Amino acid sequence: MSSRGPLLPAENLVIERGVSAGDAWITVDPEKIKTAMQSLKDDGYRLLVFVTCVDHLADASRAWPGRYELVYELRNLDTKDHIRVRAFVDGDPPHIDSVSDLFPPANWDERETYDLFGVVFNDHPDLSRILMPDDWVGHPLRRDYPVGGEVVEFSEEHQTWQTAPDEA
Amino acid sequence: MSVSEGVTITKTGEHGAFGGELMTVNFGPHHPSTHGVLRLIVDLDGEQIRRVTPVIGYLHTGIEKQMEALRWQQGVVVTDRHDYLSPPINNLAYALAVEKLMGVEVPPRAQALRVIMSELTRLSSHLVWLGTSGIELGAMSMLMYCFRERDTILDMNEEISGFRMHTSYIRPGGMMADATPRFLDLLNDFTRTMPGHIDEYENLLTMNPIFRSRTIGIGRLSPEDAKVLGASGPMLRGSGIAWDLRKSIPYSGYENYDFEIATSNDCDCYGRYLVRIKEMREAVKILRQALDRLPDGPVNVDDRKMLPPPREELETSMEAVIHHFKLFTEGYSVPPGDVYVAVESGRGENGCYVVSDGTHKPRRVKFRSASFVNLQALERMALNHMIADFIAIIGTADTVLGDVDR
Amino acid sequence: MGLEELAESLGKNILTTTLGKLVGWGRGNSVWPAQFGLACCAIEMIATATAGVDIARFGSEAFRASPRQSDLMIVSGRVSQKMAPILRTVYDQMPEPKWVISMGACASTGGVFNNYALLQGVDKIVPVDVYIPGCPPRPEDLLNALMILQERIKAQGIMPRQ
Repeated sequence: MSSRGPLLPAENLVIERGVSAGDAWITVDPEKIKTAMQSLKDDGYRLLVFVTCVDHLADASRAWPGRYELVYELRNLDTKDHIRVRAFVDGDPPHIDSVSDLFPPANWDERETYDLFGVVFNDHPDLSRILMPDDWVGHPLRRDYPVGGEVVEFSEEHQTWQTAPDEA
Repeated sequence: MSVSEGVTITKTGEHGAFGGELMTVNFGPHHPSTHGVLRLIVDLDGEQIRRVTPVIGYLHTGIEKQMEALRWQQGVVVTDRHDYLSPPINNLAYALAVEKLMGVEVPPRAQALRVIMSELTRLSSHLVWLGTSGIELGAMSMLMYCFRERDTILDMNEEISGFRMHTSYIRPGGMMADATPRFLDLLNDFTRTMPGHIDEYENLLTMNPIFRSRTIGIGRLSPEDAKVLGASGPMLRGSGIAWDLRKSIPYSGYENYDFEIATSNDCDCYGRYLVRIKEMREAVKILRQALDRLPDGPVNVDDRKMLPPPREELETSMEAVIHHFKLFTEGYSVPPGDVYVAVESGRGENGCYVVSDGTHKPRRVKFRSASFVNLQALERMALNHMIADFIAIIGTADTVLGDVDR
Repeated sequence: MGLEELAESLGKNILTTTLGKLVGWGRGNSVWPAQFGLACCAIEMIATATAGVDIARFGSEAFRASPRQSDLMIVSGRVSQKMAPILRTVYDQMPEPKWVISMGACASTGGVFNNYALLQGVDKIVPVDVYIPGCPPRPEDLLNALMILQERIKAQGIMPRQ
């Protein structure tokens, strides 16, 4: 995929930018996510490919500005460019504005992110659980939520069937 | 509301066209025509649909969490199983993403074999779609004919990898094993006989008055709606937009093959049927080209940090033993970073977003599922149609619930 | 015609059996499955019903959509937490005598997925008669399981399963 990286009309929105394995990305302030996404949409990035979240609990690869990283992947159908927008949030539960009025495909993606990570999207038309049963307690894809299932004897994860290391 | 195929009358407070109230019907998750465990809550005004609310999650398998608990090379096995009609294409998305992060590129023979497996899978997926859509609209013989050809494809899968469906044949770093001569013979015969079979299907359906009256004008999705709702695959190309990832953002050597993008300006179920039939024909063309030009050489990347050494080397080289030990106990580590790779499956854009924190297990693997996004367009397509047409519309969306729920 | 000849001709034309064996034979050779295809195994279940493998030869001609009209539930695919109560409801709606075949690794034990989202085996909520391993099992495996079940049904006779 090509990675020219856009010039956002409002450059003061970009906190950091970079390229990862050929993919261009920018970090924006989560308070200004809607302005940034609107600005990118006006610039031609009209397709939202996906919205997701990454939990950086006990992640030693770099200093992360926040525990939850919201990732939005946008595509420009004319130039075939991609841009990844990141926003770091913290809190219990973390909050961020919903972009489902700008990009309709975000509707279910944000519900799924809420269901699996507990990120609350402000002004979402219907923020409810979508994959887990309605009365499920907890957000399964967080790193401190155990993988679950049955304990397997003599496996390396016999005692703690978890993905988070001990210091998490 | 009842959970199986019962009818529940609830007062929604809204009124239909003739002053009656809307009736809510539950197409429960256990239903013969929903192509999997999809629950649809439909508000009806008489026979006409006024609102559709899909309820998903009945097949949620926790694949993304499972992959965080498995090592990089173990994760391939699990990627087969989310879009279970096209397992090698799922493998390919994951393999391309990991290879991009590792900074390796597979040799040309592996790229050609990957194209062959992707196209065979596209055919197999479209055959299942055609068979099940046909039987839902009453054409029972379609199921029998399509699964007969699909069985030939599954025999080829079994020849090359040992598995009929979930092959796990395409892995980060290359392929599981080289193609056997018998596989190449079977593929040769297949490319010669398949166009005749596709003609057979077209003879049954394309000019069939019953099929045409049940699909022409049904399930309209305008090009603007398709783009705004993020649809991909035949849902997008059936509305006239020529966007195919194999041409627009090519991967795995697709730029070297000569094929056309199938589009239709009809924007209805019949248009999407024509698009998928054309895609099947183009897939056979690509298979023929790939087979004719199959280059020689290795099928795996020559990187001992990623793939184990051949067993003979273990007898002579200490380094080979160390690599073997490291790979089979801890597995390789991928440098930190994140990458998104999208491939074109039978349903549309199936992508894999991989985040690595530098350890031997992924931090996050997210599958961008074509069916998940296409399903959101269901309501737009079904409004004001009748219940019987609704079955045709669900069929044309070609959603695989494993992919939707992961 | 003497008495011996009468007995001989009667012996050739009358079949004697027990009621249990007759009922078992009838039930076993006409097992109608309920469509309960969940995931990948469902595709192999459909393939079992098609012409190459043809489960109809064994009496399972009609895969009924309604559980009220079926006597076998083939659980083909993984059972998630959300689907479990529905599976139990459909099982309860089936009239006696009923049997369950758990097709595939996911239905039998949870399969490849040992995590929060799946039931680790459908036998946690319904009693299973035959387990089929495989991911997914071949169509011939499903036929083998059906034949094992048929032997069991024929041996059961009239009494319903306790």
